[in-house]
Amino acid sequence: MAIDIPTRTDQLPTSATRFIGKAVNRIEDPALVSGTVEFIDNLSLPGMLHCAILRSPHPHARITGIDVSAALALPGVEAVLTGEDVERWCDPCFTAPEGWGNYCLAVGKVRFVGEPVVAVAATSRYIAEDALELVQVEYDLLDPVCNPDEAMAPGAPLVFENRATNVIQSRTYTWGEVDRVFAEADRIVSRQFRWNRVGANPTETFGCICQWDLADNSLTCRGAYQTPRFMGIGRAASLRLPANKVKIISHAQGGGFGGKGGPRGTDIAALLSRKTDGRPVKYIEDRMEYLLAGGGQSWDRYYDAAIALKADGTVTGFKVRLVDDQGAGAEGYGTISAAKPLAAFTGNYRIEAAFYDLTLVATNRAPTYPYRGYGPPPHNLVLESLMDVAARELALDPAELRRRNYIGPEQFPYTVPSGNEYDSGNYAGVLDRVLELADYKSLRQSQAKARTEGRLVGIGVVSTVEPGVFDWNAYATVGVPGVGVPEGVKVGIDVFGGVTVAVGFNLQGQGQFTVAAQVVADYLGVEMNTVKVTTASTDVALPHFGQGGSRLGVAVTGAILGACEKLRGIFCRVVAHVMQTDPEQIELLNGRLQMKGAPAHGMSIAEVAGLMLSRSDLLPPGVEPCPEASFVWVSPNRNLPDDQGRCRSYLTAAAATHVVQVEIDRDTGQVAILGYYIVDDCGTRLNPASVEGQLQGGVAQGVGAALYEEYVYDAQCQPLVSTFVDYLVPSIHEVPMTVKDHLVTPSPIAPLGAKGCGEGAIHTTPAALLCAINDALAPLGLECRETPASPRRLWQLLHDKA
Amino acid sequence: MSNRKTIRLTVNGRHYEREVEARLTLADFIRHELHLGGTHVGCEHGICGACTILIDGSSARACLTLAVQADGANITTVEGLRNRETGQLHPIQQAFVDAHGLQCGFCTPGFIMTTLELLGENPDPTDEEIKEALGGNLCRCTGYQSILDSVRLAASRINTATAA
Repeated sequence: MAIDIPTRTDQLPTSATRFIGKAVNRIEDPALVSGTVEFIDNLSLPGMLHCAILRSPHPHARITGIDVSAALALPGVEAVLTGEDVERWCDPCFTAPEGWGNYCLAVGKVRFVGEPVVAVAATSRYIAEDALELVQVEYDLLDPVCNPDEAMAPGAPLVFENRATNVIQSRTYTWGEVDRVFAEADRIVSRQFRWNRVGANPTETFGCICQWDLADNSLTCRGAYQTPRFMGIGRAASLRLPANKVKIISHAQGGGFGGKGGPRGTDIAALLSRKTDGRPVKYIEDRMEYLLAGGGQSWDRYYDAAIALKADGTVTGFKVRLVDDQGAGAEGYGTISAAKPLAAFTGNYRIEAAFYDLTLVATNRAPTYPYRGYGPPPHNLVLESLMDVAARELALDPAELRRRNYIGPEQFPYTVPSGNEYDSGNYAGVLDRVLELADYKSLRQSQAKARTEGRLVGIGVVSTVEPGVFDWNAYATVGVPGVGVPEGVKVGIDVFGGVTVAVGFNLQGQGQFTVAAQVVADYLGVEMNTVKVTTASTDVALPHFGQGGSRLGVAVTGAILGACEKLRGIFCRVVAHVMQTDPEQIELLNGRLQMKGAPAHGMSIAEVAGLMLSRSDLLPPGVEPCPEASFVWVSPNRNLPDDQGRCRSYLTAAAATHVVQVEIDRDTGQVAILGYYIVDDCGTRLNPASVEGQLQGGVAQGVGAALYEEYVYDAQCQPLVSTFVDYLVPSIHEVPMTVKDHLVTPSPIAPLGAKGCGEGAIHTTPAALLCAINDALAPLGLECRETPASPRRLWQLLHDKA
Repeated sequence: MSNRKTIRLTVNGRHYEREVEARLTLADFIRHELHLGGTHVGCEHGICGACTILIDGSSARACLTLAVQADGANITTVEGLRNRETGQLHPIQQAFVDAHGLQCGFCTPGFIMTTLELLGENPDPTDEEIKEALGGNLCRCTGYQSILDSVRLAASRINTATAA
């Protein structure tokens, strides 16, 4: 029987919600502030060995010899793993598109600095690292390809020699009559942009403990795993195991942001366990390893883009050519990153036609991985920067140009040219509110005054749409087919009335355990502190994905509501049987199953569960003694894309407009953020404090990407960044304390009307800052079209001008 | 490695005597020898501040300190803050919970220990003083706003309690 998932909070079986929509304290936090959460490096297993990895110092070289004899002779060393073992036992990791994957450890040649070459398992990490110093590796250096131009030049060295080219993927999308709207345009604005590599850098690096069962030929991996089942399937493929012989136990993660990595380290630790007759092997990636070649380098992009406008400022067309430096292979699903903008290609605007030409190129930089927001943050920076250039050319206020082009509130559901359907929104309302919040007129007045004093003050007004609740169908045209991303939970009630929610993921920071407890407590009418949320390992968990694509808050809410709806059905049958009436006569309200119209007659949730577990004689025929229910939620009404990628992909469309005022120091190129204002609309706010936390965290990462962070490589493809002294994560001094407000335009189709909002401000902040910087530079006739707009870069721009 | 040395130190009020390798970091000693896992290691080069502890009352990076350097020291880690009998959180810990001052929580023990030092020296800090004190701790999740709120809340509660 179909289960209807409530899309409004007033559909819940409670007279008033007590937890949903309130900034309740997170159930995660007492343990986290006490330091007692079991992050993976806090766990030790009996007989456990420690892994250290020797990495390539060269971007491209053939391995001509490896001598591990001295390392093996070091007391405490139990095993050494080389490419020979890996070639015998493994396959290259699977990739999208297929066939661009590396082995977990280099076989035959190295393709990037930091690629693992040899791994050691020893009785301590200290001894394992000693052993690495005793390993001798001989290399024949090969010419590297350091950027897409070099990689696509005729006769370029091949990163993957079994491929005839370094081009991983190249295709175009045409939506609507692009040629016509550009031919008929009154004005065309085009620019090139360069977005340099940034990355996730969660405070905790990746770590795992892997144990190979040689009798059963199975593998158990404990670790900092986002998307546990997905990780397990990948490991099964690379380690040549049946998927049901790989068990993933996800531990709490010290942040992830998509860029945790893990496949490579897991495979290496697993093989070392296999080589040591099944002893558990721990691998904790250190920060230098993460920065050199961990899971978080993203978005190494070259853009050439244009918008077409009518004289009145109506934007009619948008063309984007993207060349994306994927680094050495496609193991990080970079195609997804490049294709994700399809879900909101034309942003908040009624742009009727669009064109996208994407080329993904392999080079000898480290492979790229997902990072919060995946593809859209750079894409939004391109579109919003073009909007600002157009506004300047038309002598229109940038806020006004955007307003003229917004999709109207009456136009939802709205299908964008690239095919996705936005569920709801009120973009002009968001703009109005943020302009009021920022006192925009005053900001412009203070800017005008500053300019008369020769100061470089600028304002950015930027609007973006955050596609929420990702779906595989968005990526079917780039090699990742599928429709639907299941998320399953089990809700059970014990004999004392305690509620346990089993999910397939673990803590990562966004607070989904709390959301789960809020939803189940409001539905079942129990206290939040009676709810236990726990992680099921992949061998017993229901189908799940976990965190990713701004989905989990919505998805887990849907799953819990589904399970609770099932429970309600069962409980009504049990209570009706006891009361000798029909189930239709029983209702759930505020935690009681009671007779409709005679609420004094009823039982509590705890009483029903207790009865079911201890009085089988009172159960109606066909009802099992099991006060538990499972539900696997999937976005409703998704479909397959056409050949241009058009489909209903991401379920929700949250929106935000940021207003930021900056000042550039002429002498240092340093950007100071003078004021930062945000109004967002992500529908129902399940836990407002968590939503604001996600927003502000996205601001911080956006500030880093726009102003400071960069994985710098030299002309020979040597990384120049390997510590936090070089890779500049913003501190409390760089991140603005923002002024926030919000609108609530609920999703008509998502559980409880909530929209995905976990990626938050990273969609908006980089664009807002660059637009503000270029507004500041406008009187000088200068534009910065490269990120990060670091002090050095801006100083150079100002200096070259002088 | 034969370069071993016996150290005696106090951690969260308990006395320990251990023989350690001279090269063992204090962070590894606390985490893996004393099994106090709340002192987290985020960068191992002294930038992120996740491993911040108090040595004789002053904040220090456990990752950049050797265990042998702590011989004779009195150390406080995040595990030393909660009331052992009742389990009640320290006011700073409770303020971080109440003001949503954390997300993944990995950096949080470091922030809490830095705050403990700050409020010990300056019970009523201005926002600028709080930022100055926390400038050596990196958080990748929160964007710091709720951390600033947490420290303000902790200060005001401690001051109210002291005044009462």
